[in-house]
Amino acid sequence: MIAATRLTRRFGSRTVVNDITFAVSRSEIVALLGPNGAGKTTTLRMLAGLIAPTSGSVAIDGVQLTKAAGTSLRRRIGFLTEAPGLWDRLTVRENLRIYAGLYDLAHAEQTIDRALEMFELTDCRSARAAELSKGMRQKVALARALLHDPAILLLDEPSSGLDPEVMRMVRRLLEERRAAGCSILVSTHNLDEAERLADRVAVLHERLLAIDRPSALRQRLTTGRLIVRVSGDPSSYIETVRALGPGFTDPAIEGAALILRVADLDRQAPALVAALVAGGARILEVRAEIPALEDVYLHLVGETSEVRSLKSDVQVR
Amino acid sequence: MRRIRTLITKEFLDLARNRTALLPVVIVTVLSLVLPFGIAVGVPAMTGHGLGEDADLLRVSVAVGSGEALSSDARIQLFLFQQFLMLFLLTPITGAMALAAHAIVGEKQARTLEPLLATPITTLELLAAKVFGALIPTLAISLAGLALYFAGILAFALPGVAAAMASARTLMLVVLVAPAAALVSLQSAILISSRANDPRTAQQFGVLIIIPLAGVLVAQFTGSLWLSAAALGLLGLGLLGVWLLLTLLSVAVFDREAILTRWR
Repeated sequence: MIAATRLTRRFGSRTVVNDITFAVSRSEIVALLGPNGAGKTTTLRMLAGLIAPTSGSVAIDGVQLTKAAGTSLRRRIGFLTEAPGLWDRLTVRENLRIYAGLYDLAHAEQTIDRALEMFELTDCRSARAAELSKGMRQKVALARALLHDPAILLLDEPSSGLDPEVMRMVRRLLEERRAAGCSILVSTHNLDEAERLADRVAVLHERLLAIDRPSALRQRLTTGRLIVRVSGDPSSYIETVRALGPGFTDPAIEGAALILRVADLDRQAPALVAALVAGGARILEVRAEIPALEDVYLHLVGETSEVRSLKSDVQVR
Repeated sequence: MRRIRTLITKEFLDLARNRTALLPVVIVTVLSLVLPFGIAVGVPAMTGHGLGEDADLLRVSVAVGSGEALSSDARIQLFLFQQFLMLFLLTPITGAMALAAHAIVGEKQARTLEPLLATPITTLELLAAKVFGALIPTLAISLAGLALYFAGILAFALPGVAAAMASARTLMLVVLVAPAAALVSLQSAILISSRANDPRTAQQFGVLIIIPLAGVLVAQFTGSLWLSAAALGLLGLGLLGVWLLLTLLSVAVFDREAILTRWR
């Protein structure tokens, strides 16, 4: 488990990460979302022990990540950096072999063989890193991050340069690592990837704006709109809805669907269905309008940007 | 130690695929071979004038007081071969300087430093690997050059010169002073490489070590300074001490954060 407590990092007068607290448990994947410059890479670097926080702390399995403890704690961390960072003149295998040596791996060659196989890199094991495509380089970098079987994985934009097929393979691999008890923090711009992969999503924009399950985050922006599709003309059921009382508002027709707004989806949706069925409707579909994660993300980040913009306006004035 | 060995292996692999990086070392070594034999053996043979006819050279070679039992020609030849031995001091310094200067800032520019720093490698291990990764191959080329130098002396020098060259002074110079001077120079370059954001800056500063060495070389040629075996031993030990201090300083000033966050 890796935990950040009140983590803050300033560079001169500029605050890049401000007072963030969260933890990634064993067997959990957390996706770190945020716009460019939101502090994602800085956060990952602090968690990896590469840079120290200005204030706050990082703990790995309960042990504080300090300069003195950093060397031994880094053994437990696999860090995929923003750039693959391969030695261009070395072959794929040599790149991995050097890292196996740096991590003191006992059965280095077998471990490298497994990693090459896992990432379907066996055929290009003797190719120099400079000759690889962007996606292949990213795969080698991922193989390198996983080589020492770390308990904590910090991945900065793992999907960068990967095609959908490889991304699916990476996703499967991360799910396997999660099942094996690994704590995984993934920084990404890819909301679809975050939603598919992560148990929880953290939205960062200097501060931690939200951290929750993707479904719970979407729920936050739920509009309370219900979409009902019935067999036949939906307009004939508008009066049925109005008769339900003041809790069922704004009934309207949008295309072939009846739309209305409710305050309490869980309580009112069954009542609506019952009334419509009693009124003779043959219901094809009833669903709540749930926003996409992208909407939630843009909403959260947009709010912060607006506040910042206002603050800077005030400062300018 | 294993991590140092591992990273040195990486440096060697990198060099093996980029042999032109070692070309300056080879060039300096070849020059260090051609110049002394050209002057001490080639010129007298071509002109028909013995070295002993040069009164100034004879005076200086007498002043330094080695090879008293030799003829005038052999004595001057011995003096010249001893002087040019100093050139081999400069070989690993000039040659390896580009490698050492590039050591940290090069990794940073290639964006390979961050994943490297994320491993359990300590700063001391990283810097030691960088120093020895540059020193070992250049020293190997330099020693190969020295072997040719002595083989040439055995083959072409006047009688008695080769035997007189096999002295404690030569041994000190080859075994102690040359590697120690190279270590000081390379460690300086790596220290600067970890603080500068441009390899050229590191290289410029690292090459400054040549100034005192060139001074010693000139002083020896003019006969105003002649370092005995004991003096060379002390100089070598002094240089090793300086290297240790520079190593500690390099570790102390190596700022991972600044390297990762401020360099562009």
